[in-house]
Amino acid sequence: MDSKKAISEEAGGFSVARLLQERGVSRRDFVKFCSTVTAAMALPATMVPKVVHALDKVQRPTLVWLNFQDCTGDTEALLRSANPTVGELVLDILSVDYHETIMAAAGHQAEAALEKTVKEFKGKYLCVVEGSIPLKDGGVYGCIGGKTFEQIAKHVCGNAAATIAVGTCAAYGGIAAAVPNPSGAVGVREAVSGATVLNLPGCPCNADNLTAVVVHFLTFGKLPAMDSHGRPLFAHGKRIHDNCERRPHFDAGQYVEKWGDDAHRKGFCLYKMGCKGPATFHNCPTQRFNERISWPVAAGHGCVGCSEPQFWDTSPVYRRLPNVPGFGIEKNADTIGLAFAAGVGGAFAIHGAMSALRKDKPAAEETKKEGEE
Amino acid sequence: MAKIVVDPITRIEGHLRIEAEVEGGVIKDAWSSSTMYRGIEKILKGRDPRDAWYWTQRFCGVCTTVHSIASIRAVENALKIKIPPNAELIRNIIIGIQNVQDHVIHFYHLHALDWVDITSALKADPVKTASLAASISEWPNNSPTHFKAVQEKLKAFVSTGRLGPFANAYWGHPAYRLPPEANLMATAHYLEALEWQKEVIKIHAILGSKNPHPQTFLVGGMSIPIDPDSQNALNADKLITVKRLLAKAQDFVEKVYIPDLLAIASFYKDWAAIGGGVGNYLSYGDFPDPVSGNLWFPAGIIRNRDISKLLPVDQQKVAEFVDHSWYEYQGGKGKGLHPWEGETEAKYSGPKPPYEHLDTTAKYSWVKAPRYEEMPMEVGPLARVLVAYVSGHKETKAIVDMVLAKLGVGPAALFSTLGRTAARGIDCLLNARQTPVYLDMLINNIGKGDYRIHANEKWEPAEWPAEASGYGWHEAPRGALGHWIRIKDQKIFNYQAVVPSTWNASPRDAKGQRGPYEAALVGTPVAKPDQPLEILRTIHSFDPCLACAVH
Amino acid sequence: MSESKYKQYIWELPVRISHWVNVLSIVILSLTGILIGNPAFIDSSPTAYLMGWIRFIHFVCAYAFAVSVIARMIWSVRGNCYAGWREYFPFFSKEGRKDMKDVFDYYTFRSSRVPETVGHNPVAATAYFGLFLLYWFMILTGFAMYAEHAPGGVMHSLLKPVYLMFTTQQMHLYHHLVMYLIIGFVINHIYSAWFMDIKEKGGEISSMFSGYKFTTSRYAVCKSKQWEFFPWSGKKN
Ligand code: HEM
Ligand code: HEM
Ligand code: NFV
Ligand code: SF4
Ligand code: SF4
Ligand code: F3S
Ligand SMILES: [Mg+2]
Repeated sequence: MDSKKAISEEAGGFSVARLLQERGVSRRDFVKFCSTVTAAMALPATMVPKVVHALDKVQRPTLVWLNFQDCTGDTEALLRSANPTVGELVLDILSVDYHETIMAAAGHQAEAALEKTVKEFKGKYLCVVEGSIPLKDGGVYGCIGGKTFEQIAKHVCGNAAATIAVGTCAAYGGIAAAVPNPSGAVGVREAVSGATVLNLPGCPCNADNLTAVVVHFLTFGKLPAMDSHGRPLFAHGKRIHDNCERRPHFDAGQYVEKWGDDAHRKGFCLYKMGCKGPATFHNCPTQRFNERISWPVAAGHGCVGCSEPQFWDTSPVYRRLPNVPGFGIEKNADTIGLAFAAGVGGAFAIHGAMSALRKDKPAAEETKKEGEE
Repeated sequence: MAKIVVDPITRIEGHLRIEAEVEGGVIKDAWSSSTMYRGIEKILKGRDPRDAWYWTQRFCGVCTTVHSIASIRAVENALKIKIPPNAELIRNIIIGIQNVQDHVIHFYHLHALDWVDITSALKADPVKTASLAASISEWPNNSPTHFKAVQEKLKAFVSTGRLGPFANAYWGHPAYRLPPEANLMATAHYLEALEWQKEVIKIHAILGSKNPHPQTFLVGGMSIPIDPDSQNALNADKLITVKRLLAKAQDFVEKVYIPDLLAIASFYKDWAAIGGGVGNYLSYGDFPDPVSGNLWFPAGIIRNRDISKLLPVDQQKVAEFVDHSWYEYQGGKGKGLHPWEGETEAKYSGPKPPYEHLDTTAKYSWVKAPRYEEMPMEVGPLARVLVAYVSGHKETKAIVDMVLAKLGVGPAALFSTLGRTAARGIDCLLNARQTPVYLDMLINNIGKGDYRIHANEKWEPAEWPAEASGYGWHEAPRGALGHWIRIKDQKIFNYQAVVPSTWNASPRDAKGQRGPYEAALVGTPVAKPDQPLEILRTIHSFDPCLACAVH
Repeated sequence: MSESKYKQYIWELPVRISHWVNVLSIVILSLTGILIGNPAFIDSSPTAYLMGWIRFIHFVCAYAFAVSVIARMIWSVRGNCYAGWREYFPFFSKEGRKDMKDVFDYYTFRSSRVPETVGHNPVAATAYFGLFLLYWFMILTGFAMYAEHAPGGVMHSLLKPVYLMFTTQQMHLYHHLVMYLIIGFVINHIYSAWFMDIKEKGGEISSMFSGYKFTTSRYAVCKSKQWEFFPWSGKKN
């Protein structure tokens, strides 16, 4: 009985910083953590104290994570995060009240946990959505506990303080929305109009960016600035191509021509192997993955443009340009264009040949009349 | 009879729903359904076969490499491409560490809470916990101070009154049987494994840019160039890091996972008689030798739990039924289609949401029903280990015999929920020991001056025949995975994946035969129908992945 | 040209300058554009900055081209009636449509009467209108791609509607494809200029250098001036 009382008293004076301290995380490490996320948010170092201060005060905020038409890749990305680790994030920084992949309860108990959070923390909790939402045929392509993803999303995202759509599926429809979009998949913004949604695309999204968004929200009480696709500028404000370590090779005209060739081994530009870095806004080259070990281009494979709307239908992996709608994959823009130009040339050559043989009436007769009018 | 429904089944990948009839505290019948469909097989049609790995990789972000591997193998099989030895070795390393990491995550983070009562860990004596741990392993972190610290963290966490992901669970359920010390030990290792998994999987990042969804696969090889004299290629520095991480992986499996598994299993031996299932086992085999192509893990089929006979696998005999799945075949009902002829035409005929129950007499799942010679097959670590054991694979035999001896049970105990969970550990250990072998082979080969990583001749679609078909097999963490492709005019004409969880989570087929989950649930005891802990145990023992199963 | 014809000043200097600036820039833009799309050079030295220069030239010509197109549009309200905007819309008036039909019939061998046009040939003028749309497509997608190096900048903000209509990948594709439409136009255009030069004997080609054309009547008539575009405007003359 009195332990229950103790709990509620504790909760009042509770803060992330304090909990980290109780968990044996030193003040120094805590400040270090704050500066790491500050840097990830592309904020100046002068903001670190503000982040420290905010996290010092803030209570363990509630977060629910919904999995819809997904592959759980974004959850896995979260499991790989280092600053903070998923352990710290889930146990210390946030109260993750619902996440099907990790939660202990199942079935009715799981649903009850979600419902409790939506009621008790209405308008205050953060919601993370992973995966797209199928709208076709009344949403029968995605159900949990007999309810459609659409119904769940409207209820849970609709009552959240903010929703973070993680991964390109949740943001824009992604993999499931690719032609012919068999299930009518869309992103959260499209499925739940009116909800406050921040998109964190990527396939999967970079967990460092997710952490940074959460910390930004905790620190400033609002979502970070976004671009016209609803993506945070700190992570999607610049083109991969403009931050790529291989850019000097692009400018110099040094390209990989074949996998494993000399240029490939030397780390030349992957433009001709289909790299979509010139058309992709993401911080992969600077933030990198798995504690900054690498990113696609550094591993010798071009960028696929996985954080762009429509990337699934406009970014064949090994061709720089999209396929021309209505033509097969072997017909690229140049083959089609050259065929067109040749056709035009041919047509006029024939016209010229035929004209050489024709007999004309002089232009004079009629135009004279007109001229005299 | 009232059906109980568990939906969502949590601590798995994807959207799984179980409906079960319970009578006298035991499950009489059960139905397994997945309630999410994307239709990626349809989406693949008409695309570039070289892109298929990228798409199929996104079937699943948990077993994040396996569909890439199966896909490039299928295309290479269709186009008759032989990849360079280095590429094969790098693939083997990627496969090996995927299996190891996936199994550990499954055991600690998805399965353990079925057997481990975290709240009981609060009552444990850290000193006793340390001596318990010391009695089974020499893991350096198993000290009283460490266990004390973990317990303090746990207390602090519980004292906030916000249990987060551990709220509303089945703590105190009568089916939990571990002493508090064992619970504390497991909880400590739950946290350690969380930290460990993100470290060892960096191997994927080094070899392939990132994890999940490494971006390094190519039809014809791999994209990570090899050159000891380049900073932009796989060089000595990176290889040594991989080596160190592989050692770290093996160390944890040997000293933490396997001892924990055996310790926990010894408290739940009654589960060696529960959850057997269909009794037919299928493994495709894996880890091709880079030169001979021979598989290190053997392929084979065991029928009716008969471990005296190992049957060969013939890809022609695989067919998928949709008589209880929400699809329609052009050719009508009752027939199975071989994947080259496979169809994925969704046709939902279930109840209109929101609903309470599915009509399990009709169609009730998005998972198709794959059958081998019209028989349901269980796939996964258990099938893999059984097939290897029966074939006389010496590394497997040694570990299986050790585990059976430690638990004091015979091989028949393997046909169960507990057997499945134990086999996963065995499989993990096998992978953890074998993967460094491939790294050494790779280092050796590079040392000889072979830097080849990709077979270029057939990269350009112009070099392909007008029509080709092929299949690619792989032993994924959850079992036998096959991709079948037909290529026509340089495009994907048909693409079908028959995935481990498609086999295991399958609904009934045309003959009404249950799928492996369903069959395994029959006979599972349920102490409290409103707290379906036992259902979770048997289902989790398969390590379900429904995004994989339906795709 | 023929002595029996009258020399008329048709193309004023700004029209000619704009025409030839466009020609030059389009040729360079196409050549550099093709190289941007398919960098065919191999084994370039790291100091060459080869792709850098090619893109730089593309962008310099892009500015020249854009300025020239805008200048020409301004001149279409300031210049003589042959340069006027009405010329491009013959199909909006009955007379214009009739003239178009004559030219069309002649081109397609339905009639053997060589039509004479003083300013723009009405079929060509219609094509020019289409061409101007392509120009603008190239300019908008071009600058939209260009501005992506500085998202949030002035140019990027001004071009927001373009980003809403196309993804970056689509911009690259269509920018690339429309080049071929322009190339198709140019083939047609040079052929027709040459063809009408011979048939009409009006000094067609040289006119774009000198500004003068030769007509059979003493008075050059700019028909588009008399065309009725708006139903509400009363008939002139
Ligand atoms: C008739 C005029 C033009 C032609 C024929 C032309 C042609 C091309 C072609 C073929 C490409 C390659 C596209 C690809 O494969 O990605 C290209 C790229 C480009 N063009 Fe143009 N272009 C024209 C006008 C312009 C204008 C007015 C601009 C304005 C700045 C412009 C800016 C660009 C940019 C930014 C690129 C992409 C460069 C890169 O990705 O590095 N272009 N152009
Ligand atoms: C890139 C190549 C070219 C383009 C895009 C182009 C475009 C144009 C345009 C838009 C006009 C209408 C002029 C105006 O109203 O301002 C025009 C007129 C004209 N161009 Fe070109 N031109 C090209 C090349 C040439 C060449 C090479 C010649 C000479 C052989 C030529 C000869 C003429 C003539 C004679 C006219 C006036 C004829 C008329 O409007 O009926 N053009 N051109
Ligand atoms: N079932 C399954 Fe997978 C695995 N292992 C794939 O083939 O989990 Ni996502
Ligand atoms: S965005 Fe990518 S990683 Fe995330 S759920 Fe979709 S397919 Fe998986
Ligand atoms: S590798 Fe890709 S992103 Fe990097 S410079 Fe080349 S084209 Fe740009
Ligand atoms: S494919 Fe995606 S992960 Fe980054 S490098 Fe390209 S955006
Ligand atoms: Mg399938």
